[in-house]
Amino acid sequence: MQNTRRNLLKFIGGAAAGAVFTPVPWRLITDTALWSENWPGIPRPLRGEVTARYTNCSLCPAGCAVRARCVGGQPVSLAGVAGHPLSRGGLCAFGVAGHHLPYHPARLTQGRVEAAAGALSKAVANCNVEGSRKQLAANLDASKAALMAACNPGESVAVLDLRPGRTASWTYRRAMGAVHNGLYLTAGGPFSGAAANPLAEKARKSWLAGESACPTEAQALAQQRGTDAFVCEPTRGSDRHHDGVSSGPGGVASGGVAVDLTKPRTVLSLGAPVLDGWGTPGNVLAARANFRLIQAEALESRTASLADLWLRIRPGSGSTLALGLAALLDAHIAQAVTVADAAAATGLTEQQIKDLAAELTSHGPALVLPGYDCPEAWALNQLTGAWGETVVARQEAPVPEHWKNCAPVTDLAAVPDGAIRTLIIDESAPGDYVPWNAIRRKLVADNPVVITFGWTPDGYGRHSLFVLPTAVYPETLEDIPAAIDSPAAVFRMAVPLVAAPPGVVNPADFVARAVGIDASNALRERADAIRKAGHGVLFSSADGTSRPAAQVPPDDFWKALLEGACWMDTEGRRSAPPAIDMTGPEARPSEDARLPLVAVLAETALATVPPSPLMTKLHQESNLRLGRSRAALHPETARSCGSAEGGRAVLETSLGRCEILVVVDSSVPPGVVQVAAAPEAIDICGAFARCRVAFL
Amino acid sequence: MISEKKPGKISRYGMSVDIDKCTGCGACMIACAVENNVPPAQEGATDLTGLTWMRVFKVDNGQEYPAKQSVYFPMMCQHCGLETPCYLVCPQQAVDVDPATGIVGQIPGRCLGCRYCMAACPYHARYFNWWDPKWPAGMEKTLNPNVAPRMRGVVEKCNFCHGRWHAAVQRAAEAGLKEIQPGDYVPACVEACPAGAIQFGDLNDPSSAPSKAAKDPQSFRLLVKLGTEPKVYYHSRREWARRIGDPSQAPDGKETSHG
Repeated sequence: MQNTRRNLLKFIGGAAAGAVFTPVPWRLITDTALWSENWPGIPRPLRGEVTARYTNCSLCPAGCAVRARCVGGQPVSLAGVAGHPLSRGGLCAFGVAGHHLPYHPARLTQGRVEAAAGALSKAVANCNVEGSRKQLAANLDASKAALMAACNPGESVAVLDLRPGRTASWTYRRAMGAVHNGLYLTAGGPFSGAAANPLAEKARKSWLAGESACPTEAQALAQQRGTDAFVCEPTRGSDRHHDGVSSGPGGVASGGVAVDLTKPRTVLSLGAPVLDGWGTPGNVLAARANFRLIQAEALESRTASLADLWLRIRPGSGSTLALGLAALLDAHIAQAVTVADAAAATGLTEQQIKDLAAELTSHGPALVLPGYDCPEAWALNQLTGAWGETVVARQEAPVPEHWKNCAPVTDLAAVPDGAIRTLIIDESAPGDYVPWNAIRRKLVADNPVVITFGWTPDGYGRHSLFVLPTAVYPETLEDIPAAIDSPAAVFRMAVPLVAAPPGVVNPADFVARAVGIDASNALRERADAIRKAGHGVLFSSADGTSRPAAQVPPDDFWKALLEGACWMDTEGRRSAPPAIDMTGPEARPSEDARLPLVAVLAETALATVPPSPLMTKLHQESNLRLGRSRAALHPETARSCGSAEGGRAVLETSLGRCEILVVVDSSVPPGVVQVAAAPEAIDICGAFARCRVAFL
Repeated sequence: MISEKKPGKISRYGMSVDIDKCTGCGACMIACAVENNVPPAQEGATDLTGLTWMRVFKVDNGQEYPAKQSVYFPMMCQHCGLETPCYLVCPQQAVDVDPATGIVGQIPGRCLGCRYCMAACPYHARYFNWWDPKWPAGMEKTLNPNVAPRMRGVVEKCNFCHGRWHAAVQRAAEAGLKEIQPGDYVPACVEACPAGAIQFGDLNDPSSAPSKAAKDPQSFRLLVKLGTEPKVYYHSRREWARRIGDPSQAPDGKETSHG
């Protein structure tokens, strides 16, 4: 063959065409793909020694034991501790990703000051103090000055503790005891989360009346509403203000009311999310096989769908059902609600309610659990004989004697309107979110000072004059109060797994210093007091062993607590809560033609804090949960509102409006809006409210 | 690609899921994402474009209240043991069936992103990376060093936390053992499930939970009629739930068809 230019070009062209049919190009593509694996944008995980550390999750009062797998000291995954007597190896979805919270995009890294002091308006301007310690210190000084500011007669300085029962709570009580007109406020107790419900407020006032700063408030409110509802039994102690451990709400041991899930054979839940984060999830699930679960709830929640029997009642009618059951269980009590009334209000038949009452008495011991909107269910337990058996008063873990001269526990609802000049809100530990309107009316009208401690600005920070950044789990060293399903007192701590960033403040320490008391070593003092009491056992998460606390030297006791150990009191130290009466009207949303729908809160677990960014797996990348700012509507309801799946809309109630993303869900009853719990939603909805949805 | 046969014990890892126990809490989904360095959703990601190696579905019996019943179905790669569809269609040999464990793995470095495997998978258990993996600033410190983050443009899926298997083998070797012991290797979802609904073990070991589940008449596998021999067994005492998972089930719970 002659070597011509034409033949050379033919050869090159043929070779190029033939190469396509060889592995060469595919190999090139593969190599390109391999190269792209090391693309600079792809993060490289840290390397280092792999260790296990133990702590307790402080994201909710369950305080589940946690084993953290750390690489180079940095936690990279969290898991439960198998064999733990309280959490039984369980850890919820929020807890599994708890180590992401220090890096949350919503993390507050700087102090924030409202520009127009005292306006408490929507216009909040950032006073950027990040990186400027001088400015931050100035803000802290300003906050302290506000705290110590002289109040006019009748005005108070108050601390609102969203998670009472902690050592920090005792510090607040001590601090407020040292301040003129100081008040230590709680929103929870046995009627946790009920502040949005007028009937619930009455119930709580009744419970707390013996200790309230304004003991006649409950009666006045009752008279105002034309009822003698929730009259207290005379078993409440009157000397509880300074007797420390025994001074709890309404004479209840200050550890609060607890339930013992090992006892009941029948559990009636009036909307409580029993199988969805309620109590200590591992403990609840371990006890689940022992009881028949009856869920009375408007929505098909997780608990409703997994219950042995789901009774679909109308939204907000749980209270009425409880009162109707009470009428059946104790005919001697003159009830304001008859069985017929209850049937009409709930949508159940009279026979269904009678069957339910019969089951509570014949298949006992029974336990009635209240939901977010039905606190009076606690009182129903008295009639079923559960009082003192499945519902008990729990002692609080011992505290040092010198702490007991402190401010009493006061219910927020019992404070007269316009009485608080300076309010400090500790939002650093997630707790019950009280709708802002319930707080605002307690403040003085002119220039109130609200200081919020929190790790995100999403909660009360939206309404505060000062917002001071705090550490977040797992940066904090704090104790966790006992969960509702823990009949015995416990003491365990969340210990820091990572260092907190500079500039964050410890709320309890801040308040203590502002009033001139020393609380820097409070946790150690508390641990020493518990050790000194000499009862209970210490469970070590690291080796899974328990030993009597009395046999552990004090230093070892403290060291073990710092390594995630848990002290548990002996079971015998418990008693029945005081009795309460239950009579009263139902608390249903009133009819309003302008607001034709009913908004019901859902996903109430950890409603007050933004969870790990990975939670998008549950609500954005799947439909397992209702994400924040989302609301589920029945297809017909959505159609009548002119909205569709994924559409933006405005949810409006008599208290305000907030923007929502519509999720169409045929399991939601028509006429109901299932709203994901978040501060902005709770502010306008409470537990439930009349509402309307306007499509944007 | 089917790897060369490795020396040592041949295992056939599988899973059993008691859907009557599952509460749909989502802890398994989050634990899976944490363990395998799956990033949070980008803005605009949906349930069709997100990355959920483990996904929990709510399923009901189609009835209206009060006859309505619901269960939660945790779904992940079923690790087909026969005629693995994704393996068969992959043009890049980016799907690996490990003969030592029976685990169907994905090799992102080889993946072209053609998504044939996604089309072939009868369980919709494969996910495509539509976005570059991004974590909020600082959160990359929490990544698991045993699992490499994947790049945009590749497919990924559950691999029974294969990184944990490697770590368990390494620990066993350091301890002078030739084999890992049952319980030394447990996927993250199994460890995280607070209800104890998910069990894991070697199907070749008759004492393992999945082996026992395989013999339970109330157990079933998804789409077993396709003949792909999935290694994930579900269990429910509710017949309607079993029939949804495997319509070929007879009322007594026996599988009647194997494709």
